[in-house]
Formats: sequence, C-alpha cells, structure tokens
Amino acid sequence: MKEKDIFLEEKQEVEELLKTKLLSPDIAKFSATPGGFITLTLSGEEQGMVNIIRAFPFTAENEFLSVRTADDKQKELGMIEVLSVFDEETVRLISDQLAIRYFMPKVERICSVKEEYGHTYWHVITDKGECKFTSPSGSAGAVVKKGDRVIIRDSDQNRYEIEDVKKLTVKELKKLDLYL
Amino acid sequence: MKNKRPLFEIPEQLNKILTDSGMLSAKPLVFAEADMDVSCEFRPHFLLLTEKTLIHGKSKNLGMSGGKKQKPDYSEFTLEEYPIDNLSDPAIDGFVVGGALRLSVDGEQKPVCAFTNTYKGRINRLKDILVTLKKGDEIKEDRLYEDEREEFCPKCGMRYPDRGRKVCPKCMDKRKIFFRLASCFKPFKWHIAAIAVLCVLSALVNSVWPLLNGRLLYDGVLAGNIDNSIFSALPFKDAAIWLLVLVLSMVVVKFLQQLFGIIQGRIVARVVPDVVADLKKKVFSTIKYLSVSFFTGKETGGLMTRITGDANEVTNIFIDGLPYILPNLFTIIFSCTVMFSTSPLLALVAIATLPPAVIISIKLEPILWHFNSRRFQTQRDFRAKLNDNLTGARVVRAFGREESERTRLAGSNRNVAAAQMDAANFDIKYTALYHIAQSLSSVLTFTIGACFVLAVFRPQMTYGTLMTFTGYVSLLAGPANFFSYIFRWWSGSMNSAQRIFEILDATPDVAERPDARPVTDLRGEITLKNVTFGYDESREVLKDVSLHVEAGKMLGIVGKSGAGKTTLANLIARLYDVNSGEILLDGNDVRDMRFEDIRKNIALVSQETYIFKGTIFENIAYADPTADRKKVISAAIAASAHDFICKLPDGYDTEVGSGGRDLSGGERQRISIARAILADPCILILDEATAAVDTETEKNIQASLKELVKGRTTLSIAHRLSTLRDADELIVIDQGKITEQGTHAELITKKGEYFKLYQIQSKALAMRGIGE
Repeated sequence: MKEKDIFLEEKQEVEELLKTKLLSPDIAKFSATPGGFITLTLSGEEQGMVNIIRAFPFTAENEFLSVRTADDKQKELGMIEVLSVFDEETVRLISDQLAIRYFMPKVERICSVKEEYGHTYWHVITDKGECKFTSPSGSAGAVVKKGDRVIIRDSDQNRYEIEDVKKLTVKELKKLDLYL
Repeated sequence: MKNKRPLFEIPEQLNKILTDSGMLSAKPLVFAEADMDVSCEFRPHFLLLTEKTLIHGKSKNLGMSGGKKQKPDYSEFTLEEYPIDNLSDPAIDGFVVGGALRLSVDGEQKPVCAFTNTYKGRINRLKDILVTLKKGDEIKEDRLYEDEREEFCPKCGMRYPDRGRKVCPKCMDKRKIFFRLASCFKPFKWHIAAIAVLCVLSALVNSVWPLLNGRLLYDGVLAGNIDNSIFSALPFKDAAIWLLVLVLSMVVVKFLQQLFGIIQGRIVARVVPDVVADLKKKVFSTIKYLSVSFFTGKETGGLMTRITGDANEVTNIFIDGLPYILPNLFTIIFSCTVMFSTSPLLALVAIATLPPAVIISIKLEPILWHFNSRRFQTQRDFRAKLNDNLTGARVVRAFGREESERTRLAGSNRNVAAAQMDAANFDIKYTALYHIAQSLSSVLTFTIGACFVLAVFRPQMTYGTLMTFTGYVSLLAGPANFFSYIFRWWSGSMNSAQRIFEILDATPDVAERPDARPVTDLRGEITLKNVTFGYDESREVLKDVSLHVEAGKMLGIVGKSGAGKTTLANLIARLYDVNSGEILLDGNDVRDMRFEDIRKNIALVSQETYIFKGTIFENIAYADPTADRKKVISAAIAASAHDFICKLPDGYDTEVGSGGRDLSGGERQRISIARAILADPCILILDEATAAVDTETEKNIQASLKELVKGRTTLSIAHRLSTLRDADELIVIDQGKITEQGTHAELITKKGEYFKLYQIQSKALAMRGIGE
C-alpha cells in the first residue's frame, strides 16, 4: 500500500502543472497603460504589456483566461481561473480588453438570407450597424451553434453573433431555417 | 480447456489403423494434415508427431485441394515412421502460397510434403514443437491446444471466406434469412397486416372498375337496357338517374382507391423508417463489440454501405413486395374468372400473348441487368479515378503528370459514356419488344372481340362486355410485371439481408469471458510469458517473447519496422489475443480481466491519431467525459498542447474533426497525448507517439511526459532513440524476438544492435548539426 501512495503523490504533479500557472490577485497586478493596453506585474516583477486570451471563448467567457506577453512569442505568463476574484478595477480593465479582442457584432435583425452557388448571402442589421456579407454554405463554414447562440463566420473569417435564436421573429427564423 | 481443440486429436479411422499396427506407442503431440507432394501435386498427407516418433502418411491416390477439407480414406495411406532421435533441422520453405516441410533424416536432407496456406498453420505448429522436442525443452501443455475455431462450413466443406465470420455465403439458407428478417417486423405485425388488408381491398375495388366502366355503362345505361343489369333491382326507371348512380359509384370507387392508397402510404411511412433505424442500430451495436481485426479486414466504406444502404434495401421487399403478392394473385384469378366466364375463346386469345411477354421479360431482363451493372461499374471506376486524381492533386502537380492524368480520366469517362449508351440502347429495344408483346394481346383481343360484337363470329357480344373484357386484360399487365421482377427483387433483398446478418453473426475474436473478474487498484506490473502471436496463424509476428516490467517503470522498445513492436503494444492492450503464452497485469491474465478494467487502466497513444468531430475540449475530454476544464487544461499543458490551443481564435472551443478546423499532424498527436494523460491510466503505451512532431516539440512533450510517466508503467516504442533516453530498461526486438535487453548504458557497452542504431542516429544528427 505504501508503494501506491508514492504513485498518488507523483500523479498529482500533472495537476500541479496548471496550479503553478494560476494567477491570484495577491501576486498578479494588472494596470492600464496610457495607450489603453494592459501591463502585468507578477510578484513585484514588471512583465510589460500583456494580451489576454480566452481559452473557452464560447463556453466560459470569464474563466481560464490566458495571460500572454504581447510580443511575437506570446509566452504564457499565467492563467486567470475566474476573473471575478479580482478587484472591480481589474475586472473592468480586462473585460474591456476582451470585448475589443473578441469583437463580434450582434445581429439584431435579419433582412435576408439567400443561398446561391455554394455561398450564403446575408443582409443583417447588427448593433454596430447594417451589414452585408457572404459566408461559405454548409453547416461547418457558416454557422456554429452553441445552444441558442449562433456564430456566423463569413468568407473573411469575420464573425457575427446571434445571441438568442429564439428571440428572432418567426419570419426571420424561417429565413434561417436551412442553416440551423 | 475451454474453447480449445487439442492438436493431438487423430481421426478415428487413422487412430485405429495406427493402434492396430502398433505405431502409436508413445503419446501423440501434434497431428497435421497436408495436401501436396513435394512436387506440388495435390495428394493427401498427414504427419503425426509423438513423443518418440514422427509418422508420415501419404495417400496412394491423388487428392483434391482448393480449400476443401479433405476426408481421406486412411487405409490407402503408405506409412513411414522416423524416430525423433534420427531427425534434425526441421524447416519450412515458404512458397508464395503455402510451403514445403523438410527434415534431415540421419543427417540427410529429405523433403517431406508440401501444403497450401490452408494447412500451413498446423504444420508450423508441428515444426515448432519438433524443434522444442529436439532441444530437449519441456513442452507446455497449452502449446498442444489451439483455439476452437470452426474454419470450414459444415455443409459444403469450404473454408469460411472470412475467419472472423462463421458464415458461408454459398450455403446460406435464404428462407431462413427471410424468416429472421421477418422477425424485425414483429413489433409491426398489425401494421403489416393492415397493409395486406388494404392491398386486398384496393385489388377488389380495382377489379370492379372494368365492370362499371364497361358492361354497366355501355350495355346497361347507354343502351337503355337495364333489365339485365344490377340496376333492375332499383326502384327508378329513369335513365338519367341510372347514369347518376353509375357515375356516383364510379366516383366512389376512384375515391376508395385513392383512400386506400393514402392510408397504406401512411402506414408504410410509419413502419419503414422505424425498422430501418432498428436494423441500423442492431448492426451498429454489434460492430461496436467486434474486435479490431474485423475492421482491419474490411474497408470502412463497405461497412458504411452495409449500415446505411442494405438496411433500406432489405425493408423494401417487406413493404413494397410481400403485401402485394396476395392482391396481385387475387387480381389475376378474378380477372381470369370473369374473362373465361364471359368468353372462353377471347380469354384464350388474351392469355395467349401473356407467355411471350413473360418469356421476354425473363430472358432479356438479365441482359438489361448486366448492362446496368456494367454502367454502375464504369461509373464507380470513374469516380475512383477522379477521387484519386483530386486527393492526389499535389503529387500530380509535383510530378507534372496533369496530361497523363487527363488521358487516364478521359478513357474512363469514355467507358462510362459507352456503357450508358449500351444500356440505353438495350433498354429501348427491350421496352419496345415488351410493349409490342403486351399491345399485341390488346390488339388481338380487340380485333377478335370486335368480330364478336359485329357478329362476324358467334356468340355475339355486346360492346359493353368487350369494354369490360379489355379492361380486365389491361388489369392483368400489372400483376404479370410484378411477378416477373419480384423474384429478382427477392434475391437482391436477401443478399442485402445476408450482408447485414453476416455482421450480426460475426463473433468477436477477442471476447470477454463471462466469468471475467473485476480487478481494482491495478499497479501496472506487466509480465509476458512465452508469448507467441501472429495476425494469421501461419506467420508468427512475435515468437516466444517473455519480459517483465515493474510497476512504475519505463520500458523502451526499439526495433526495425515490422519487428513486432506495435504488435506487442496491441497485445498488452488486448486488442488481439495471444496464440500461446500469457500476458499478465499485476499477475492477472488479461484474458480473465474485464474489458472495462483493461481499457480504464491502459491508454494507448499510437501513430494513428483520430480526432472526432467536436471541439478540442470534447476531444480531450473523450477519455473522461466527466473531466472539468481545469483537468482538461492540465492535461493539455502536460502534452504541450495548451499553447497552440490558446493561440487558436476559439481556443478550446475550436471545432475540429470532419468539417472543422484542420490540425497539423503534430497538433493532433498532442491532443491525443492529452487525451491519454487525462485518462490517467496506470499503464501508458506510447507507440511512436512523438514521431509526427518536430524535434523541438518532441523535447517539450518529453519534458512533460517525464513528469507524467513517473507514476505509471510506460511502454515507449520509438524509432528515435533520443525519445527513449529516460527509459529504465530497453529491449531490442528483431523478427519477433527480444534480442537485447538492458539499460542504455549496458546496451552501449554490449556493442550490439542497439549500439549500432545509436551510432547511426547520433551520426546522422551530428551531420545535421543537431547533436545529441
């Protein structure tokens, strides 16, 4: 049995791999640069500018955020397990940056959806304004479904989001029917 | 021993002969049959190895081979007996097909007999045991048994075309298939009965139509002659009302026809999808239980067709075929009765042209069939070539073969066109001929009938009767067609059914014992005792391999391609069963363990990675669906996958697999390593796990694996020796045998095969300036 315990101890090290990466408010201090970027001070050590990336952009927006250097290497400095444990100021700072990084117009109204020659032509009104775009047809290229949330990817890899399909009108749903 | 057949089982007749002649003095070990002389003529032979002698029998008559199991008359055999002590150097010379056995008798080489592949396995065993005997080693009891396998069809004696499936396609009883298939419809027996009733009803209604539309309309209402018709019973005598009644009843008949059709259609639409889905489910759940060998023996495409196409095909006959047999028969009988009772002569004329039509259909349709299958074949060929061309587009461009590819496709394309033209041409001829035969009957009936109506011949016939009559003649055409193709349909449907049942009947080579006992808290100690294995019995991939790996240690396996490294891994994970010997995990024979326990405790990361359709998170969590994000990220970090995943725009939520984002070979590999890490097994088998990644990434993975392997028994198979630097022990496998064993340092000092490989690789690396 003694041998077994040693195994257990060693096995835990895999979990440790992540633990060492987790950033807590005690050691990680985020601050804004005058230009609107974020810098990180880790255990008192200046790390410079950082980018914050969502590991689960669709399923967990404010959990497991990967904090990486803003240079080409994009070295991971650590991960934020849950954003809300940080102070309000930091949460706002990071949320703002995430909102920019994961910019995605929200579709408010669908004017028309037409399919022709393997492409789908969209005409929608988003929260950022009116928009026309083309997406490759087929479930893979155009529409990603996460529950009632739909992500449309156009030919230029731009994204548009329909927050809740159920909130669309029957008429709009009918137009969308083929793609869901 | 359960499910084992002793190798020393001797046919009864031979046993008697040998006992009578006193040759059977020592304990028999292996009995083997062969089917050829050394000159490769078919002649039955047998060899019997006992503890003291080798008896060789040879038939005086030529025999038969070709997979047919021989039942020779042993009284016609000439027998020779050699004491084991006089024999030496047994060897098998392999031919492309089969081989020959030779021996040294008193130091002189002597060819004994030859054999086709059918008999190769047993002769091989005999030779191996003879070698062991000569060495003076003890022969373990279990080597004298082989797995009980019905290899030959009991009915026709031919070998089953596929050993995994004890099905002889030739002897398959089609009626049995039918009844078995019918059982799939059991839950729907009332629906089927309803369909049959509706069919009969619509046949009845159909049969009434010519009566209304002929005799009653023309002879009754239009001719004003109602006294002879059923209308005479009606109270009114006004022709207009009769006409109204007649028209109304005609409308009702047509309406009923449609109504029955609609109800029937609705029932069919309810039953068919259910039965098809059910069949598919059955096939799929069987496939799930089959051993890996079943899949390696078949094309995936073929299996897909079976699951999807055949199930549909099979149900057709039940829905569109069987229910119609009765009504069609009814229509024929009813029509003929009416026709013969009206005018026997005219009925004969009408029927007379039916046989030629049926003959044309029976004779010519197979030819049409042939043309059609040729059309499909050429189309398939064209598609295959096109597929080749498109998927190999890079190679085609790289070698500048566009022009020759174009020519190749053009030729195939022409074949398709030609086959289509042929089929169409024949189809036109056939259809024309068939219709001529059918029309001829109508024309003749009409002509002769007209003569009756015009009173050229007696007895005279009314116009209405003639109309009714011809109505019945045309009613006959449907059933005639139906019966001409139902037979072919039947056999096609049964073929599909057979293919489905082949899968349902396939027995897994590797099955869990019903009395398998659960094993908990596996530590991961692996022991192999005299393991011998071959994917087919005649070619052994692993020969008498024994090894021991302590729990928590890492064993590196080195060897050339085809040496048997992957096979070793497959055996430990029990994807296959050993032919002889045993594999123990913590002292438990894997064959006595539950699959669940084996799979839970062993994770295999191989060269082939498979990414399922879904997100990266789901793909990693495949090993443990209950894992949370933290666990999945940890596993990904350990597998050096975290970084590249985070750099994808959708991170762990990225859709991958078919239709999703393309991942590189290295990325896939890292995901599958993460999957294995998450499975948290006590035994980890890495089969060239890092072969697809670059050296830099490999180093990262190595570093993580180093942490990972600590608590687990690890078998690492690798070409790159650098991968195995941290192994506690290394073995070198060559041609199915362990040739060297020891630590890295020990093997280097030994200056054997490992040393040579090491030198070659470090030189190569040094040349590229990488260095060790």
